Amino acid sequence: MSGYLDVSGLHVYYGGIHALHGIDISVNRGEIVSVVGVNGAGKSTLMWSIAGALPVARGSVTLDGVRLPPRPHEIVALGISLVPERRRLFTALSVEENLIMGAIRRSDKDMAERDRERCFTLYPVLKERLRQRAGTLSGGEQQMLAIARALMSRPSLLMLDEPSLGLAPIVTESLFDTICQIRDEGMTVLLVEQNAFQALEISDRGYVMQSGEIVASGTSRELLENRLIRKAYLGE
Amino acid sequence: MLLQTLVTGLSIGGIYSLMAVGYSLIFSILSFSNFAHGAVIMLGAYMGMVLAAKAHLGLGLVVIGSVVGAGILSVCNERAAYAVLRRRRAPSLYLMISAMGCSMFLENMVYATIGARFYSFPEFFKRQVIQVGGSSLSLLDLFAFVISMGAIAALHIFITRTRTGISIRAGVNDMTMCSLMGVNTDRLISIVFFLAGAFAGVAGVFLGIKYLVYPTMGWVTNKAYIAAVIGGLGSLPGAMIGGIILGVLETLVSTYVSSIMRDVFSFTALVVLLICLPNGLLGTDTEEKV
Repeated sequence: MSGYLDVSGLHVYYGGIHALHGIDISVNRGEIVSVVGVNGAGKSTLMWSIAGALPVARGSVTLDGVRLPPRPHEIVALGISLVPERRRLFTALSVEENLIMGAIRRSDKDMAERDRERCFTLYPVLKERLRQRAGTLSGGEQQMLAIARALMSRPSLLMLDEPSLGLAPIVTESLFDTICQIRDEGMTVLLVEQNAFQALEISDRGYVMQSGEIVASGTSRELLENRLIRKAYLGE
Repeated sequence: MLLQTLVTGLSIGGIYSLMAVGYSLIFSILSFSNFAHGAVIMLGAYMGMVLAAKAHLGLGLVVIGSVVGAGILSVCNERAAYAVLRRRRAPSLYLMISAMGCSMFLENMVYATIGARFYSFPEFFKRQVIQVGGSSLSLLDLFAFVISMGAIAALHIFITRTRTGISIRAGVNDMTMCSLMGVNTDRLISIVFFLAGAFAGVAGVFLGIKYLVYPTMGWVTNKAYIAAVIGGLGSLPGAMIGGIILGVLETLVSTYVSSIMRDVFSFTALVVLLICLPNGLLGTDTEEKV
């Protein structure tokens, strides 16, 4: 097993609970990989631990063969960016300031400016709302800003935790289109979704999580076509 | 007479504002009341006094020296006493108790080493006055007010215009996300403590010049705390407005009513205001903190 991102034997405790019991997942460069499963399966815990916001008790996470450092700001520097569940924007800051925060580590001003323009091409509405407080945006706009903010750090691996949560179906659809577009530009995407069918449809491969363990994995087609998996884990 | 009282009030208010801003900065980023802030002000005053009396520096250099010294002291205070608790995600009550301990430790260190003596600053322009419309205004009071407001304006520009300043406001909003953006939050918190200490340094020097320098002079931060709460804890403009309101009202009360009633008045005003506006003047939930 030697993908781009490798998680092996990951054990994490969260709030005194043994939340992850030896997770093994691997993501290859340029893939979209989904982690699906019911609420409380530990999907978000997995994302937060990869990003460094939760301490790893046992096991390892490597990116391109390099073991990840312990603190979040050092992990961002290696090219991993997380769009967390419920977005967690800096609601008191303006849209512009949120984008500045996304690029806070970068010293290459010209390139950062170009990435900003690229975000505006992706989401023109953000340009109109630059001076507006992030907290006053609509749900869909907030999700756009959350993704734009994450892209501003120019990540090689983008992790999205429940990006479709609380969005209208039509907005969700365009969100998934964007995710494909981002992948086509060369980024690797790790996607966590409760909305399992839609997520697997745009993914190359998938993992099914339950009670802190990976219970099934395979290509998206295999998972979608397996009736037992559909019944037992995907809530059909 | 009224103009003179007003200027005195503004100068005291300015000093309260400086102290309240320090409180508010730390409160907004770590959600605890840093009761060691008064001790930092007191040591800032001692540093300024040593620079003025022993090194014979001018007021400008004394303020700068005290700003740097108190800033560093404040950072050391955080590293030694709060950082460990913070990393273990201790409730903010523990941080507050630790801060009280630090305050007592520092005060008693001064008693044990320097002694309980009262010191006074050498005269800068204590007695110089300018005449405006028949009343004589103290140059020191005017200077204290202008410097205080200038420092707060500079802080405002810093936190709204610079990348570090925006990071501080982002950290106030959501510290975890701030670290996920790539900000070293330990460093960020140190910067905030440095800023709070620097403001304490300025406040300490002016308090020392206006009154005296002694180990428990930091207790005046009770007033700054009231000012911060009146303005809305965590709000920077609130801290400034709260400080000035308190300073002016106090001076009016001690001039026209009785100086004994001054503190009674301050605390009564606080209680009444909190009953009417539990979040302070500018501390509504939607108000941007810092």
